[in-house]
This record gives sequence, C-alpha cells and structure tokens, in this order.
Amino acid sequence: MNLRRLLRPLRSRFLFLIPIAPALLVACNKEDAQSTFGTSGPIADTQASLFIFIFWIAVVVFVLVEAALIYSIVKFRRRGDSDDSLPEQTHGNNKLEVIWTIIPVIILVVIAVPTIKIIYDQDGPPTDQGPVLEVNVRAHQWWWEIDYPGEDVVTSNEIHIPVGQWVNFTMHSDDVIHSFWVPKLAGKLDIVPGDVRQLAMKADEAGFFFGQCAEFCGEAHAKMRFRVKAEEPEEFQAWLDSMRRPPVELVSEDAIAGQTLFAANCSSCHATNTWQAPAARNERTRLAGLRTAFIGNIEDSAVIPAPNLTHFASRETLGAGLIELNSENLIKWIADPDDVKEGNRMKDLAAPYRNNSLSTNDVRQLAAYLLELKPIAADAVVAAVDLGGTAEERGEAVFAGSSGCSGCHSTGSATLVGPGLADLSSRSSDAEIHESITDPGAVIVEGFPDSVMPQIFESTLSSDELTDLIAYLKSL
Amino acid sequence: MTTIAFPTLISRPTSYTGLWSWIGTVDHKRIGTLYGVTAFLYFLIGGIEALVIRGQLSTAENDMVSPEIFNQLFTMHGTTMVFMVVMPMSAAFFNWMVPLMIGARDVAFPRLNAFSYWAFLFGTIFLNMSFFLGGAPNAGWFGYANLTGNTYSPGDGVTFWALGLTILGVASLAASFNFIVTILNMRAPGMSLMKMPVFVWMALVTNVLLALAMPVIAVALIQLGLDRVLGTNFFNPLAGGDPVLWQHLFWLFGHPEVYILILPAMGIVSETLPVFSKKPLFGYPAIVLAGAVIGFMGWFVWSHHMFTVGLGPAANSAFTISTMLIAVPTGVKIFNWMGTVWGGKLHLNTSMMFSLGFIAMFVIGGLSGVTHASPPTDAQQQDTYYIVAHFHYVLFGGSILGLFAGGYYWWPKMTGKRLGESFGKWHFWTMLIGFNLTFGPMHWLGLNGMPRRISTYAEGMGWETSNAIATAGAMLIAVSVLIFIINVIRTISSKQEAEDDPWDGRTLEWSIPSPPPAYNFARIPQVKSLDDYWYTKHPELLHDERGEQTESPAPVEEDSHGGGSIHLPSMSYYPFVVAIGMSIGIIGFMEIRVDIPSTDLQLPWLSVVGIVVGMWGLLGWIFEPVTAEGGH
Repeated sequence: MNLRRLLRPLRSRFLFLIPIAPALLVACNKEDAQSTFGTSGPIADTQASLFIFIFWIAVVVFVLVEAALIYSIVKFRRRGDSDDSLPEQTHGNNKLEVIWTIIPVIILVVIAVPTIKIIYDQDGPPTDQGPVLEVNVRAHQWWWEIDYPGEDVVTSNEIHIPVGQWVNFTMHSDDVIHSFWVPKLAGKLDIVPGDVRQLAMKADEAGFFFGQCAEFCGEAHAKMRFRVKAEEPEEFQAWLDSMRRPPVELVSEDAIAGQTLFAANCSSCHATNTWQAPAARNERTRLAGLRTAFIGNIEDSAVIPAPNLTHFASRETLGAGLIELNSENLIKWIADPDDVKEGNRMKDLAAPYRNNSLSTNDVRQLAAYLLELKPIAADAVVAAVDLGGTAEERGEAVFAGSSGCSGCHSTGSATLVGPGLADLSSRSSDAEIHESITDPGAVIVEGFPDSVMPQIFESTLSSDELTDLIAYLKSL
Repeated sequence: MTTIAFPTLISRPTSYTGLWSWIGTVDHKRIGTLYGVTAFLYFLIGGIEALVIRGQLSTAENDMVSPEIFNQLFTMHGTTMVFMVVMPMSAAFFNWMVPLMIGARDVAFPRLNAFSYWAFLFGTIFLNMSFFLGGAPNAGWFGYANLTGNTYSPGDGVTFWALGLTILGVASLAASFNFIVTILNMRAPGMSLMKMPVFVWMALVTNVLLALAMPVIAVALIQLGLDRVLGTNFFNPLAGGDPVLWQHLFWLFGHPEVYILILPAMGIVSETLPVFSKKPLFGYPAIVLAGAVIGFMGWFVWSHHMFTVGLGPAANSAFTISTMLIAVPTGVKIFNWMGTVWGGKLHLNTSMMFSLGFIAMFVIGGLSGVTHASPPTDAQQQDTYYIVAHFHYVLFGGSILGLFAGGYYWWPKMTGKRLGESFGKWHFWTMLIGFNLTFGPMHWLGLNGMPRRISTYAEGMGWETSNAIATAGAMLIAVSVLIFIINVIRTISSKQEAEDDPWDGRTLEWSIPSPPPAYNFARIPQVKSLDDYWYTKHPELLHDERGEQTESPAPVEEDSHGGGSIHLPSMSYYPFVVAIGMSIGIIGFMEIRVDIPSTDLQLPWLSVVGIVVGMWGLLGWIFEPVTAEGGH
C-alpha cells in the first residue's frame, strides 16, 4: 500500500492534536510569577518533580492509546459503501483482559509509592534543619493578617521570611474558607474557619513571590492576593527590627493634615501603631472585637477588621498584593476603593464613604500621610516618648490617635457613627464613662444600635490611658 | 372494573395531540422527548453563560461583567450543565431507549415517570427565575459552606439554589426508582441480566447511584436550607457548626454524581462502537463488570476533592489509593472499546466519529485525573484551571460527545428521520477542535498558577495568550452548536423517511418501526442471546461462533396478555398536579410568610397551599384507574 495514501486520512485524524500544540508553545515560561514550575523551595520543587514524573508516564500512555486508536481508525475503516461483508466476529479475550488490568495496576503502584512517601515527608517542617520560624496568618475577606508570634510584629498582605530557614505558617480564618497558596514555594492549603491549619515551607532563594487565595471566598476572591518576600536572614532581621521602631516625623503639611483625617476617618478599623509592643500584642484582640461588632450588626455596622497599616510606606504593593504602592495608585484606591477592588468592604462600611465626605484634597492628604508612614532609621536616636502635658492633653491624643475614638464620635453634638460627646460630664459619671468604654454593650444610648462599638478597649488601653481619656472626655 | 368513589375533579385528557396531551402524557417516549428538548434548551442557556464567562476572561483586567455577575454566571453554568443538561439528557435517552432495548411497552411506573419530568421542569424554572428575582446563586455549584450562610451570602440567591436543587433531587429519585424497577422487572422473556445491552446496564448502575446519592445531597441541602431560613447552625463555625461537614456530604454525593454523568455516555458508545464496527462488543462481561465496579468504588473516593482541606496524611493517602484504583476499571472499559474497534469494519459516520472522539478525549481527561490523584501534585493543581481542564475533558469530551453520539445514533429511531451527515461532520469537527482550543490551554493556565473562579486577573501573569485562545475556542463551540441546530431544523423539515433499522443494529429497538408506535412492540420479543436482534438477522453467526444452538431463534411468542389486545396506561394530569404542589410546597419555605396571630410563629402559607394541592393530586392519582374506562 502506498504510504501517502495511508497517511492522508491520518493527517485529518491528527487535527485534534493541533490545538494542543499552541498551548504547549505558550507554555514554557517558568519565569511567570505564579507558575508551578521554576520553583524556589524544597516543597514546591518536590511537588513539581513528582508532577513531571507522573506527567511523562501519562504522556507515554496517552501516546500509546491515542496512536492505537488512530491506527485502528485508519486501518479498519470501511472502504467504499459497497463493502458489506462482516469482519471477524471476536467477542473478547480473557488473556488481554488480565493484561490490561494488571499493567495499569503496576503503573499506578509506581505512582502511588512516591506519592505517599512525599505526603508524609511534607507533613510539617523537618525537625533536623535548624530552628523554624513561626508565622501566624489570618485570612479575611479579602486580605491577609500576618503576625510573628514572640516578635511583637504585625503586618498585612506582605509576608517577610528569611531565605534558607523553614517557616511554619499557622493559619486561621476569620470568616469563610480561604486557601493559602504561594506556587513558587508550596502547594496550597485551605484555611477553614473554626479550625487551625499548618503549612511549612522554605525559600531557597531571595525573591518577591506571588500568592493568591485559591478557594472561592466571595465577591472579591479574584483580588485576594498577597506577596511573600524572601530575604537574606540579616535583611529579614533588619525588617523585623524596623517594624518595632517608631515612625519618622511627618514632614509635609499634607501628611500632617492627613494624619488628622486618618484619625478621624480611618483609625477605628486600621491600626498604625503596632510598632509599640503593647499595641502589637493587642492587635489580634482589637481585630476580633471589630469582627464581633461587624457580625453583630451586619446591616448597619461601620466597622470591620481591616489591614494593619503600620509602616505602610515600607511596603511595595497595595490592596492585598494588587497594585504597586505609589502616590497615584494610592490616591486612586482611597478615592474609590471599589474601582480597584470591587466588593471590598471599605466602600460599603466606612462612614466617610457612606456619607461621601472625603474631598479630593482629603484623599490627597491621606495618601501623603500614608506614604510617610515608615520607621526611623536604625541608628536614629529615639527620643524618649514624652508623655508630658496635662491629663486632658494626653487623653485627647488617645481619643484622636491610635485608639480611634474620633472615627466614630465627634467632640461636638454631631452624630457620626456613635453619639456626639459634647457636654458628656453633665450626663455621665466617671464610672459610667469608664463602663461605656470598657463594656460598650452595658448601656446603649437610645437610637443607636447595639454591638457596633468594639468590645476591645479594656484590653487595648492601659489604665493610665483610660484615666487620661476619661479626663479628656469630661472636659468636653 | 370497579372504581372506588373519588370525586373526579379533573377528567383525563382525551386527545393524543396538542398541549394538554403533552401535559397529561405518560408515554415514556414522549416524556423522553420532553426531557431531551428541555435539556437542550438548558444546554444553550448554560452555553451562553459559559460564553459570557469566556468573554470576561478573554483579556486581563477586563470589566465586561462585574465580579458579582461573574460569580452568578459560573455558579449557574456549573449547576445548569450538571443538573439541567447532562443528567436530564441522559434521562431522555433512558426514557426513550431502556424500554425499547429491553422489549417493554412502557416503564414500570409511567405516572411516576411523568411526575419526575414535571418536578424537574419546575425546579429548573424556579432556579433560573432567581436571575430576575434579586440575583442568581453566587456561591459556586459546589456551594461550599460557610460562604453560603446568610452572613456571607445575603439575598435569596443561595436559598433559590438550595430549594431548587431539592426539587431536582426529588425528580431524580422518582426517576431512579422507576428505571431500577423497569430494568429489573420488565425485560422481555429470555433477557437475563447478562443478555442486557450495555446501555441498559449502565442505566441500571446510574440509577442505583442516583437512588443512593440523591438522599445524601438532600440531607446537605436541607441542612443548608434550615441554616438559611430558620437560623440553625449546621455549618456555622461561630456556633460550633462545621463547614467541612458540607464538603464531605457534598462530595459523598458529588463523586458518584460524576459517574452518574459519565456512565450513560459510556453506555451509549458501548452500543454505537459495535454497531459501526460490525463486530460484537469486545469483552461484554468485562465492560459490564467494570461499570458496576466503578459504580461501587465511586463511593470511596470522595475526599480526593478535598486533598487540600487539611484532612491529614493518613486520609490523603487512603483516598489516593482508592482514587488510583478506580482508574483501573475505567482503563478496562477504554481498552475493550478499542478491542471492539480493532479488526472491525468501521463505518465513520457522525455518530461513530463522536464515539471515537469520546474515547480520544476521555483518555486525556482520565490521564490528567491521575496527575492530581496524587495529593502533592494536587496541592499545586487543586482549584486552578488545570482542574477545570480536567473535568471538561471528562464531562464535555466524555459525556457531551457521548450524548451527541447517542443523538445521531438514535435520531432515526426517535423521529423517523436521519440527521444530515455532512452537517453532522461539520458539527463534529468544529466541536472537537473548538473543545480542544477551549480546554487544552487551560491545563497550562492552571499549571501556570491561574486559580479557578476568579472574575479577572492582572496583566503580566503570563495568562493572556492562553485565555484568548480558550475564548476563541469557546466561540467555535458555539458555532458547532449552531451547525447542529441547523442540521436538526433541516432534518425535521425534510421529507425523508428513515428505515426501521438504518445502521444494521444489534439491539431490540431496531426491530420495530421508526418512530415506534405508542405500544412499542406489537409482540413482546423472546430473547435468546445478547444482541438478539442481530442474530435473528444473522442466524449463521450464532451457530458459527457460539455453538449454543443449532436452530434459528424461535419466532417471538404471542403477547402474554393474549388476544392481541395491548394494555397501555392512560394519560393523566395528576402527576403534573402533584409536581406543581410539591414544588410550590418546597418553594414556599422562602421568606413568604404571615404571622400567626397571638403566637410568635409564622405560617409559610405558600407551602401550605403547595402541600394541599400536592395531597389532593396524590389522592386523585391513587384513586384514578391506571387505564381509562374503555381504553386499552
């Protein structure tokens, strides 16, 4: 038989392979940020090697089966309509049945043995490769809360880790199921609310690795991203230290104006003060309180756990690893968060957006403030924190500053989220004010919803701060 | 015939044509047609949803649809294709072909059969109405708790989903009992189980799976409904509930469901391949056994959908082994199909091309499945486009191509006309190429780190080209479906008449006229062997190969009822009424309630209306004689 004639129908039968070819052509770029190839750590390396091993077995089976199929289509096709004779009528062959049962079993055993070995190997960090860095991850719709237990360092959405050291992520979810995935370093693990998950990995080289939530978690799931920054150990240590130093003094007038705006509009959800050890230790409680307040009053809540912004300007991305952090992007983000990340809660909940009260100038000043939020240099002389002034002055700083009272309460009679506090001393005793701060649910002013004010200030405020705050409130 | 007195509130339909005759029909062939047409309409709707999804993902940072709409679309695309397309399309073939292939005049429970269709129809209409009533379900076809709770899915979308699927579950259960009993009890004399066509075998396995799997999802859906409507906490971790419980229940249903979706298509190609190869099915007992083993082992693999949930190394290892084992019987089927083709005389018409395409594509889906049967590799692949590619190779390359093979194969039997072959081949090639263009690149997208269910993606991730190719492929699939529709319209409006046995078929349905008369078989056939009809046409083969018997098969016996009188169930409106009542009863659990005076209880009045209507219809059903007075 003429070979060309044999191949002619074969060519058209191969048509279905054509679409696979371009897919393979565009395929081979290991450099892509979230590629599961070109990995940078032992966990992901092993996973990729195991995949390649199974892949080639599958390719061999694929080629054999499809080739046999195409061969029989070509070889055994009916030639001409007039050929009505019957082919040999075979009914089966027990020997073949046994063979094509046994061979797949052998192949699958070959795959299963290394698979199960690796499952157990990758269950937790190795115990014989030096100290393991513990990092806590808490997933939120749609951002990541990060803290370093024992280090008093809290941050969000950008995770710093040292190169060459095993890291053990202990993961919780505050709302729905999320999945923590940094393809270059390790496969994903779901984070189930009400439960704890642990995932160990190690970076073998420095890099800024892309991560993304892999379990569908609601409206902004596509934009729940994050980054892992693997640095040389000394750089990592320097970063940890910097996160515990106070911020530089604000320079620009815009930034100074922005600080006041931030205190009034943003600080009830976003913390910027966890460079102080007590605040860092309280951050989890504060966020949990915000969450309780949110869950207790979903329809009207004005608060929700929000990313920690301490030393925000030292980050490289914005909006949970979405866009580069720069002035232009930040202004865009503050002006209309929904435009960058549709579904995010800030636009829905925060009073300034609900009341549409941020002017273009306010936005610019807020951005200026946030872009100056960075730690002082390591060798800078840290001025002793001066707690001078009167109790009222110190209380005012607590009120307008990090504890964020001014985000919800005006010092006049206007109602923001909570009641205005003017003339408070004529209405309430010291003890009543104290109770309302530490146990907000005890007395609710008529007309205001329950469970909005976070039940956290008893733990976040020191007793001195509380005394100063009450003194200030009584002076209004 | 004595009739117990019960007020006949609605009289039977009398005419065998027109709308009311369809609503009152209990003929398995008409019900099959209703299932088929409905499923095809939903195939178009689910396809349009897919096209919008592909449009949105064609480029990076696209905003053709909002994330909220996108989430509704992928949720409804999955829900539609699984519950409203592949399952009912399989049911259409079961309805049409099971009685014809086992030599029966109808199914065991004709009115239950009608009820099943109407319940299915109302459930699907209710689910799709959500698009116009405040938003469709948006938590994925898998509806993972606790995202489906009121806190994170406010609005009624997920409630529509839970209640709608509950209605569909009732419909599936009714259908499954009907087919199990039909297949076990109504085979023609002489047709022992091992002389049943493989399609009937796969129908049996599928319906046993349905009967066992549907209660599992029903439990989960009722728990979800209670969480949402009455404020229980089955899946609420804040109150001690467990979101992972949902996943176990869902996949304990969901994995058998995968086989519910693929076994009917496997049954179809097990019929078409022998017919168009002019050879008996290779290894009939092996294929039957493999199908039954798959149906059994399908219950022990569910946690491979949950390798990344964190169930621990022991659970992951156990489910790895069970998952790999289930690949073995699947392989046995594929090898036997190839053994069937091998040495045959292949008639490469459209139906055969779809059948061969099924094998070629299903192999790819099966092999990619093995790559994520291994939890360490699945950790990188789970919830990425790699998985999307995998299950579309199984469910589109497998189920849908298989169902089209069956469509082209049985079209002349069902309608008396053959679908056009040249349009058919265009349909096949555009669909095969479009399918591979769409889903082939998704393998790479997944390996390149693109998660599933994301409404958009950033530039520079290396995902643009593959996504653009996939979208182009989806449009080609749309073109191929248009070609099919044109083919159907041309065929229906043509004047041709198909022969009773156009393909030189092997099974009993080809022994009767095309389309079959209402009573199917004038005489109930007497079956002596597998592929009995083939051997009545080729008696010398039976003698040559098996030496089982020397005389030609005996002529079929007189109908067991004798006298040539054929009893068929008469039409009835009651299944329709009960289906309406039941559906309204379930729908009424949405927040349509009135306060009961002087208590703090609320009355779901719509449910009460539905239950009353349903009970009344049920009584009418019970007291209505199966056969109308004077009918036959």
